[in-house]
Amino acid sequence: MSLLSALQISASGMAAQRTRAEMLVENMANADTTRTPEGGPYKRKDVVFSSELQTSPFSAVFQHEAGQGVRIASVAQDTGPPELRYLPGHPDADANGYVAFPRLNPAEEMVDLLNASRSYEGNVAAITAVKDMITNSVSILKS
Amino acid sequence: MLDPTTSNLQRYMDLLSTRQKLVASNIANADTPGYKTEDIDFQCEYASLLNGQAPLAYEPPGLPEKPDGNNVSLDRETRMLAENAMRFNVASNLVTGQIKTIRSAIDEGKNG
Repeated sequence: MSLLSALQISASGMAAQRTRAEMLVENMANADTTRTPEGGPYKRKDVVFSSELQTSPFSAVFQHEAGQGVRIASVAQDTGPPELRYLPGHPDADANGYVAFPRLNPAEEMVDLLNASRSYEGNVAAITAVKDMITNSVSILKS
Repeated sequence: MLDPTTSNLQRYMDLLSTRQKLVASNIANADTPGYKTEDIDFQCEYASLLNGQAPLAYEPPGLPEKPDGNNVSLDRETRMLAENAMRFNVASNLVTGQIKTIRSAIDEGKNG
């Protein structure tokens, strides 16, 4: 039944957007982190989305169904050089008094976060609409 | 099942479900780089469904592409979402009406 797989597709969209929002919040929380387990300052992370065919193995045997969900293909890390700030008293300062801070722009993160939140809402609206359709077809049984 | 009108309505609802699934897929992939909007040509598919073929997805023309190769327009998808749900509502009410008609015929038969 294609309506139930539509729910699955929207759910995959919600999960992907939530993971994206988590990454963005992690970036903002670590905007001033100078120490990480890997050494050096925190590096900005971003998710890479890719579309994925959502079919239950059972229905796939009978027909090729259109419609794709979304999944997180990978988490990309910023590879650019860190931002150097002159703070001679800082415990992580190098010999010249510069401290390596993560290179990230909080305004950019906020805009991306808004975007993720809007996309999440879009998926919720899709689930609501599909749910109403299923309810409608179930109500035929009651007639 | 009951009469030609009902089986036509059934096909119509099937097609609307498939279309709604594609809309859900477009919304879920609104931020996927390189993803292209998918839709079905409703009239053409309705005719071919009468011959028992499964609906095929196509890329609707004229949608502006973003720099990452994605051409999903959330406005268009939101409109389609609402439109499909309303059409489905109409169709399911019509089916309910058909069943009620038959039921009343049966009930009248009992009294006679």
